Amino acid sequence: MNKQQDVESNKFSLLVIVLDTNPSQRIVRQNAQLLTQCVDAIIAFGNAHLMQCSQNKLAVLSCHHHATDFLYPLPGKQLDVRQIDGQYEVFSLVEKTVKQRLSHIITNSPKLNTPCESILAGSMAMALCYISRIQRNAAAGVKMHSRILVVTGSNECASQYMTYMNVFFTAQKLGITIDVCAMDKTMSLLQQGCDITGGQYLRLTQLDGLLQYLLWVFLPDPQMRQKLVLPPATKVDYRAACFCHRELIDIGYVCSVCLSIFCKFSPICTTCHTVFKIPGPMPIKPKKKKKV
Amino acid sequence: MADIDGEDPKEYRWETGYEKTWEAIKEDDDGLLDGAIAEIIQKAKRKRQAQKTQQNRLGMMRHLYIVLDCSESMTVPDLKPTRMLCTIKLLEIFIEEFFDQNPISQLGLIVLKGKRAEKLTELTGTSKLHLKALEGVSKIPLTSEPSLQNGLDLAMKALKVVPSHASREILIIMGSLTTCDPVDINSTINALKADNIRCSVISLSAEIHVCRHLTQQTDGSYGAVLDDAHFRDQLLAHVDPPPAAQTQENSLIKMGFPHAKTDGGKDPPLSMCMCHIENTEEPSKLTSGGYHCPQCFSKYCELPVECQTCGLTLVSAPHLARSYHHLFPVQHFTELEFNGQAANCYACQKPLTEAMDKNVYRCEKCAQVYCIDCDIFIHETLHTCVGCNTGNSNRN
Amino acid sequence: MSDAKAGRSGPTTSTYALIPKPANLQCMDLQEYLRTRTAETLEKLYNYPTICLAVYRELPEIARQFVIRILFVEQPVPQAVVASWGSQHYAKEQAASTACLTELNVWRVTAIPGGLSAWELCPTFKKNLKIALLGGGKPWSMSHTLEKDSKPRDIAFLDTYAMARWRCVLHYMVGTGSSNKAQDSEGISPDAVRILLHANLMKRDERDGITITRQGFQFLLLDTQSQVWHFMLQYLDTCEERGLSLPDCLSMLFQLSFSTLGRDYSSEGMSPKMLTFLQHLREFGLVFQRKRKEGRFYPTRLALNVTNKHAAVPAVIAEDDKAQESGYIVVETNYRVYAYTDSPLQVAVLGLFTELLYRFPNLVVGVLTRDSVRQALRGGITADQIVSYLEQYSHPNMKLTESAIKSKSPLPPTVVDQIKLWELERNRFTYTEGVVYNQFLSQADFVTLRDYAQSINVLVHMNERTRTMVVTKNGHDDVKRFWKRYSKSGG
Repeated sequence: MNKQQDVESNKFSLLVIVLDTNPSQRIVRQNAQLLTQCVDAIIAFGNAHLMQCSQNKLAVLSCHHHATDFLYPLPGKQLDVRQIDGQYEVFSLVEKTVKQRLSHIITNSPKLNTPCESILAGSMAMALCYISRIQRNAAAGVKMHSRILVVTGSNECASQYMTYMNVFFTAQKLGITIDVCAMDKTMSLLQQGCDITGGQYLRLTQLDGLLQYLLWVFLPDPQMRQKLVLPPATKVDYRAACFCHRELIDIGYVCSVCLSIFCKFSPICTTCHTVFKIPGPMPIKPKKKKKV
Repeated sequence: MADIDGEDPKEYRWETGYEKTWEAIKEDDDGLLDGAIAEIIQKAKRKRQAQKTQQNRLGMMRHLYIVLDCSESMTVPDLKPTRMLCTIKLLEIFIEEFFDQNPISQLGLIVLKGKRAEKLTELTGTSKLHLKALEGVSKIPLTSEPSLQNGLDLAMKALKVVPSHASREILIIMGSLTTCDPVDINSTINALKADNIRCSVISLSAEIHVCRHLTQQTDGSYGAVLDDAHFRDQLLAHVDPPPAAQTQENSLIKMGFPHAKTDGGKDPPLSMCMCHIENTEEPSKLTSGGYHCPQCFSKYCELPVECQTCGLTLVSAPHLARSYHHLFPVQHFTELEFNGQAANCYACQKPLTEAMDKNVYRCEKCAQVYCIDCDIFIHETLHTCVGCNTGNSNRN
Repeated sequence: MSDAKAGRSGPTTSTYALIPKPANLQCMDLQEYLRTRTAETLEKLYNYPTICLAVYRELPEIARQFVIRILFVEQPVPQAVVASWGSQHYAKEQAASTACLTELNVWRVTAIPGGLSAWELCPTFKKNLKIALLGGGKPWSMSHTLEKDSKPRDIAFLDTYAMARWRCVLHYMVGTGSSNKAQDSEGISPDAVRILLHANLMKRDERDGITITRQGFQFLLLDTQSQVWHFMLQYLDTCEERGLSLPDCLSMLFQLSFSTLGRDYSSEGMSPKMLTFLQHLREFGLVFQRKRKEGRFYPTRLALNVTNKHAAVPAVIAEDDKAQESGYIVVETNYRVYAYTDSPLQVAVLGLFTELLYRFPNLVVGVLTRDSVRQALRGGITADQIVSYLEQYSHPNMKLTESAIKSKSPLPPTVVDQIKLWELERNRFTYTEGVVYNQFLSQADFVTLRDYAQSINVLVHMNERTRTMVVTKNGHDDVKRFWKRYSKSGG
């Protein structure tokens, strides 16, 4: 028993929360109060993660409409936070830092005239760089599990398709789990990411009880999730987005040279400038007619 | 391996002058070598990156036959424990990597045993089958000589029928210094050349003229290994898709992207899958999951697959996306002397200091500054510049 | 055991106490320690957010999830609902977690309308864990605001200080304290000696001197973090005698354990008793204080995360952080042990299980032999302790060898295996407590009883010729009851 615990305890888990703070999210536009509520829940959730084990690590990124910034930890010296109430010093530090950084970012951000998309994929890429740095510095013999939790109320945008895919495959290669909590629309691309990396995807229809949901679904480490009953994985839509219009398609044309996807036949590939031979009577055509 | 060409002016290694390798290492102020060695390692890392040139005409749909020598010469223990076992180990890694990087490609295995060639696995797109077959290879008795020609003929026969838009390749792993062929091998080489089949050879013993000739004629690469680490590098170099041959025909291929349907959260009705329907050993079972062809709605349990009913190639989008980084590589960053350009690395937030970071790296597009570790991570693993993807100004 | 005879002549039973095994060092972790406390004590302890936090971290992982899920739920949660949170495949683990929560008094059963039983977190625990997590309540006792320290102490200084103080205690134990350098010669206070005696790590011998005990040697083999924890537990045992309150001390200890290394804290507003406690901690090196009267102190690495030995070593090495205390032992595959040390303490510990061959000014060479290891084993030291000691202090270069990277242990596998084999050699007996039944009047009686014992799987040994049988202690009651019934029915 003791021996086993020894083996188990020589590990820690790093949680990177990517929080979408873009003011063009529908829920924020309707009620700005909700963002505050959401940030409070995220802080409590992050602290609950730190509470699991003293070695656990936390990082919080904000994905704002113009830039991505670390809310916690600060790159250099941390804030000097003293206890003001019974809260554990480390937790107070997280809370203070996140709130201070976030208000700084919001007040200093350029004015937004038209709603714009959140650049979540880039923020996730940044999170991966951070994780890989921590991984490099992990002491020998210490096992590290990392995961990324994306909390967003944005719409999906296919224009980041390539970045998303690169992020997902990198995460898969490094054994990093990607969890997604969608607060508004269904995010089918992020859902693919969860599926590829073995993470949990949860779509909330209302924000009441956000913290309770977070604690239930996302607090357990991926390693211990099998011991608990969690919402079942939904079927994932693995359709591709075409390169020409960035729309999800069922049937498309793929360039044999570079594997670019197009929704219509075109005589020249826009990616690799290959000239295609005009399709003669395709062998599949007659069969198709027969079938339909 | 730059000397594929016969006319290559580069001499053999034993003909070149000394390389004063020791001069590259210099002691630092404290008389220590650590710093200098670390620098050399970092330079080597960056050099590997720099070699990857932008190449957007790659033969992505690859059809590759691996021809493995199973002659007596494979028992030689110069690679540990023996050439054969070492090769099997490395091939396992190779096969995994191959399918990881070349999602809709196919691979087959041929072994040369006792002057004959035998097809171990047909061209298929799943790694499981090959890995299983590879396990059996270690039990093959290693005797007599191999026949290169028989191996090439067998592979050629299979590759001839492959569609013209796909790349056709043969990779030969030779332990023997000799080959025992029925007729003139030059006729085979000419046939391979005519069919646009690219042949590459990795020799475990020494350079063999006929192999070199073969690779020269068919635009392949040739390498003789120094040790197991070198062998591994040589083998894994074949994971990256080769540039597309000029003569290769190009076409747009119609493909379907099936998605598992969930209408209103209801479980889809039970149905049979097409892939097992004619398989008597494992008969098709009634299940609710699976992938449906978007054209004719036949069901399959695994992707990628060619629809048996309507002939549409079915793949999932991530399969294709896995290889996009070959097409859209991140541009090289500019190396700069560190003089306080930024307080910390843009991607990983590492504080940059004079002492630790001699050089920093800047992306020319987004002008963000990175540390060396992130530079390498971004180019080798992530394939996405963080700065270019987190600012909204310079994106479309 | 005479009642087993049930009034009439029958088999006699007698229990055999186990052959007394040498008393070994019992190291409890926090959870085990708390289990030995009464419910009232626990209730009192849960009044401190720090203790709640420490207890929470020590819970099994499933238990932690359960607690956090009902932390924000106001009403009790039906047991069936809680049970449905865990996967069926891990029912056993889940049951253990549930039991643990009950034993530690973290939650308890209540009835809810509808006749179902439900779980409810202990209100004190719930309140204070929430405070620790979300804030509210009173600040911890040592967090009064301080003016900036004019001469702040850095982490390196604190580490050296803490280790020097702690070594002082260890040196005293091996009796090398007085013969060494000046700083060691100040020795340790009578209070510390009393704790060592109480913990049975040292004992008074005939000439009224104090010598180290077998447990003491085992204690020396532990890693520093476990030593501190064990020592503090023993201290807490005796704190009531000193007039200190256990909850106060424990909460203070955990406050230190949750503090930030390299930061100063204030002792202002502490009761005189707590100040005494602080002085003791200062003596053992858990805190650094410039002067006794100064209202400012720095916790050291020893105090940090006292309950978890892995947490003490930073899991992530900061870019500018240098390696801390490095190892000094090299073990070769030929069982030779080279120790680069001049510390008599380290030599003494090494001498426990190696045969020392040569001594040089900064190097000691020894060899692990069957005899030397067996002697250590006889002394109650376990093979694991020896191995973990060698691993813990192995030379950094040992950790860089290829085999070390592969097998995670820096020691040659042959040596590790051999030490373990030498231990196994000694463990050819398994001890089972049991009850002997003998002097049966008839073969039939014997056979009936034997068959019964066999059928319920409690028979340990039997001999038909002498009509003797041994059943396990747990099975004794069953067999006795059966015998009574059997003999009454006139069998």
